[in-house]
Amino acid sequence: MTGTKHRFSILDIAQAGIMVAVIEVSKMALSGMPNIELTSFWLIMFTLFFGWKIVVVVPAFILVEGAFYGMHLWWIMYLYAWPLLVLIVWLFRKNTSAIFWAIVSGTFGLMFGALCSIPYFVIGLSSGGVAAGLRSAFVWWTAGIPWDFIHCAGNFVIMLVLYRPISEAMKWISRERG
Amino acid sequence: MKNNKKIIIGAVILVALIAVFACVYKFNKPATKAGSKDVVIAVTGSDGQTTSYNLSTDAEYLIQAMDELVENGSGFTYSGTDGEYGMMVEYINDEKAIYAEDNAYWALYVNGEYGQYGADQQPVTSGDEYTWTYEKAQ
Repeated sequence: MTGTKHRFSILDIAQAGIMVAVIEVSKMALSGMPNIELTSFWLIMFTLFFGWKIVVVVPAFILVEGAFYGMHLWWIMYLYAWPLLVLIVWLFRKNTSAIFWAIVSGTFGLMFGALCSIPYFVIGLSSGGVAAGLRSAFVWWTAGIPWDFIHCAGNFVIMLVLYRPISEAMKWISRERG
Repeated sequence: MKNNKKIIIGAVILVALIAVFACVYKFNKPATKAGSKDVVIAVTGSDGQTTSYNLSTDAEYLIQAMDELVENGSGFTYSGTDGEYGMMVEYINDEKAIYAEDNAYWALYVNGEYGQYGADQQPVTSGDEYTWTYEKAQ
């Protein structure tokens, strides 16, 4: 952190903005490839290398997504899915193994559909009770399992391939900034 | 050593989850039936007008039946993009409903009930009516 401790400097704000921009640009660039995404990768790397700033980046990213595409049902999923990933990464932040982070990222990709089925449980619950809620969430989740497999494989491979080179780049940025 | 232990535990959890998910999908995926089926595909546009198309098909999934309808000169057309959960239909009979641009979408109803699947996962059953309805987002 630059400037006075525990205060946001202009450089910190700019850096958080660049992180959000990197995520958004990557997301748009890969939008033609269903469930192949770099958002998980970047959130993991930013949490590992830029620490506390991620608490600004995640809400900003979610708000930008909502502003771009509208705050609909999928947006509710973003409110807890991405912060959950960041929390998990934070808990294991001392690990420096590419394979370990590939497993974390792959598992998150695999669980994404299950995580996103939670709002469908709430919708079903409100219209027909717990059984309807569970059925609604289960049907939605199972229909998307093949896509969760693609998400899992994509996240795993991306992290395995990019972890080392991007780690080096992040370390260089940290050194340059002092 | 400690890291290796975490990697092994993580790998075991991931493989186990993949196996469980594969089993869940195998036993719960949308059921399809081969053989000739008579179905109706209807389109209700933004003006509220409904056009119905009758089709005899061997298609297992709705998207295959829609492709047949396009090819048999019925006048029905559609296009879309592949999304996170399959094909997202954006144009039907040249009418555009792209969520991000129009704040509207093509909703799929099966026998009047809101569909649980997208066009490429919706099984085709003889006698069913599949209705694409232009809907504005709330």
